[in-house]
Amino acid sequence: MSQDPEELSLIDRFKNGETSAFEELVLKHQDRIYTVCRHMLGNIHDAEDVAQDTFIKAYHNLKNFKPSASLYTWLYRIAVNTCLDYRKKPFFESLFKRSEEGDVYTLEHASDGPSPEKLYEIKQLSFALQKSMARLSIKLRTVIVLKEIEGLSYEEIADVLETSMGTVKSRISRAREELRESMKYFTEQK
Amino acid sequence: MRCKKAQGLLSPYLDGELPVMGRKMFESHLNDCANCRAEFDEMQALHNLFAGVERFSAPYGFAARTVANIETAKAWTVLWTSPLIRVAGVVMVLIIIGIGILSGNLLERTFSPQGAGKLAISFSLDVFNAAPPDSLGGVYLAMTEGKSEKL
Repeated sequence: MSQDPEELSLIDRFKNGETSAFEELVLKHQDRIYTVCRHMLGNIHDAEDVAQDTFIKAYHNLKNFKPSASLYTWLYRIAVNTCLDYRKKPFFESLFKRSEEGDVYTLEHASDGPSPEKLYEIKQLSFALQKSMARLSIKLRTVIVLKEIEGLSYEEIADVLETSMGTVKSRISRAREELRESMKYFTEQK
Repeated sequence: MRCKKAQGLLSPYLDGELPVMGRKMFESHLNDCANCRAEFDEMQALHNLFAGVERFSAPYGFAARTVANIETAKAWTVLWTSPLIRVAGVVMVLIIIGIGILSGNLLERTFSPQGAGKLAISFSLDVFNAAPPDSLGGVYLAMTEGKSEKL
């Protein structure tokens, strides 16, 4: 995996004691990490807390980070593990099940204003996707978020999850299969 | 290629993860198999749906808040590991122990044999006379005691 030279420079500056370089790294990756946390946890506040925890952990461990590895897959790994740990907390399950996830999977539409019928169709699809993703197990949901939302390759996902490419391939296939079935169910419900 | 094998390749083909040879064989199968073609089209439609999902930006000021929290945590760590703070903590503990010992000495004097007598009196229920002599109850008792003796 190739490393961004600007990023390597920021990491070097941080390792040499220039802690302001860390804020630049946060600015560079905050949207990605926040997005993953938001998709895995649903709630805005939980996502921000966990995203912050991710960068705090990264701050304390960056001195041990090897430049040959990819920084953003390393950050994704910390984010995914932190999200999984957060979800294990006893109070999380009751909150997660009680509260609606909110509009995490909102489909964008053209700014010039689609027709009312099109808007309705987009809304229905968003609703179906929202419900379908909520039904996935956390393992399948994680790979779909990393693949479909973040656009990582199979190899990168395997690196993030510290598993084999075969496992990644299998989970993505299963996740898509389950999503297809769920989407059919929810879109047929009118 | 059989359908069973082709279905296992739907996702990798969609994601561009198939090697060249595998891709050609899979495409050839798709051209010949309507069922696998239909399944692939559904998967493609789902994939396109995700492409339209709104992406998020981190909340405003997220980076500054994160760094501020890190700096605050560092300041607390420095404070608690400071030798001056540690000495102050030990002195506080000694003062509290000293106060405890002094309080204990005061209590011991109170509970000493001389003190215990006074304490016993102060806590004795004999102090509480339900019918003092100058009360109505006391007069009644005095009258009835005299009568019971005569009986």
